[in-house]
Amino acid sequence: MATNLPRYLMQNEPVHTGETSGRKVRFSVIDKTILNAAKTIKSVYVQAENATAGGVLHSMHPKVKFFALIFMAVIISLVNNLAGQMCISVFVFILVLMGRINIPGMYKKVLFLAFFFGFFVVFPASLNVISPGKVVLNLVSLDQSYQFWIYHIPQNIGFTSEGVQVVGLIFLRVWNSVSFSILIMLTTSFPAFIKSFKLVGVPDTFLMVITLAYKYIFILSRTIEETYLALKSRLFQNPGNGQLRKLISGRVFFMFKRSVAQYENTYFAMVSRGYSGQIMPEPPQPLTTRDYMAIGIVVVFGIAVKFI
Amino acid sequence: MHIPDGYLSPQTYLPLMGVFVAVTAVAVKKVKLDFSARYIPYLGMAAAFSFIVMMFNLPIPGGTSGHAVGSAVIALLFGPWAAVVAVSVALIIQALVFGDGGITAIGANCFNMAIFMPFVAHYLFKLFSVNPKRKTKVFVAAFISGYFSLVLTAILTAVEFGIQPLIASDAEGKPLYCPYDLSVAIPVMAIEHLVLFGIVEGLITALIVRYFLKSDPGLIFALRIRKGMQHD
Repeated sequence: MATNLPRYLMQNEPVHTGETSGRKVRFSVIDKTILNAAKTIKSVYVQAENATAGGVLHSMHPKVKFFALIFMAVIISLVNNLAGQMCISVFVFILVLMGRINIPGMYKKVLFLAFFFGFFVVFPASLNVISPGKVVLNLVSLDQSYQFWIYHIPQNIGFTSEGVQVVGLIFLRVWNSVSFSILIMLTTSFPAFIKSFKLVGVPDTFLMVITLAYKYIFILSRTIEETYLALKSRLFQNPGNGQLRKLISGRVFFMFKRSVAQYENTYFAMVSRGYSGQIMPEPPQPLTTRDYMAIGIVVVFGIAVKFI
Repeated sequence: MHIPDGYLSPQTYLPLMGVFVAVTAVAVKKVKLDFSARYIPYLGMAAAFSFIVMMFNLPIPGGTSGHAVGSAVIALLFGPWAAVVAVSVALIIQALVFGDGGITAIGANCFNMAIFMPFVAHYLFKLFSVNPKRKTKVFVAAFISGYFSLVLTAILTAVEFGIQPLIASDAEGKPLYCPYDLSVAIPVMAIEHLVLFGIVEGLITALIVRYFLKSDPGLIFALRIRKGMQHD
């Protein structure tokens, strides 16, 4: 998909591990922080850029997407069979195709999160040490079974069908919820999405806090990146961990002062525009027939998949 | 520490969401009383700061580096009630924009890291009733507050995971959500936080508090209330 993002934002930076004379030097804490700040800025940019593209999902009312996100998250958590979860995966994939977004980029992120949280963490549960049941694939045979306090190690350790099903179910749940939430966020402007929290009774003041925080995060991340680049350019030798800890604590203090200055400036700007503590929400945009149809499709699909 | 979707049953995430909503409503009212019209930009700033504090990597003695969850240091700098709102907003943005933590688990994550952890950190620090002039004691109190608040939060999270096989299984007894019971979840979470992540959290909390104490002690809420001062 064509995008207006600058090319340097779309490229993956090569990771410099600083290999010297065959010995790998660890990423410095300064580089890690620069990388963290840059990743945040990139995520905000990519999200904002994608949200303005002209796809079918982009033109839907944010309230519809908020409702769909909450409804589908609950449905995904309630569907307890693999077939139902697979149907949801297909449904989300169809929506992704309609969404005119960078599909490989999106699924790369989904795969990373689903692999780590949905597979790596729960993988031991597929073994009979955690999930007792009929062993379908034996891995190790011990001389005898062991009992340590409350822990039982069976004589034959292997995968059980019950364990594999549990891991499969959690993997698909994580996969589906991550892919659906990323899809929604990539096709919706964040401030517009936040306003739709009102559907569940979230007060305007809290929404204003989230919107301001989101903007501050972007500004402060840029400041961190710039301050750290300046710090890095002034360091011509390793200052030592103790000195580095002092330097970084100083940067945190500096960021705190910048945050306070930012908040005071924002407050005075708000006061000069007539703010006196009361939020005046914008009048809500009405839903169209297409929005109601979208709600209908999501609700019918959710209920159908729950009862598969 | 961020719980993803799929690990908690509705019997767990719905009540935790309810508690989160109720406590956050009280927290917003408390901060509004202290800051009047300024409370919205103040909380926005506190939320952004609690988000960015996680970006800072610090070298830890022993050759490694790490970053803090940040709830303890935010509670000590801003006070526990402002920390409730600030950390909650940061967690909501993380879940929505960065995919850290699940949508159904937002209530649980906010309950653990934005309510439980800041209050534990605040009361642990208060327990020492530290004199701001005794810098080493402030450092130790901040370390203990960061260390134990994270370890206890990890154990709370482990309990939430560990009760899943007991409260949400199918007819054959197969777990439908987190498959690890309390005998697995608690030792795993407690040990890794006792020996590694807790130390990182404690050190980062202590180092930041020490720097603030040296540069502008009036900015530390936990020391201001000791002297009977109000916010700002």
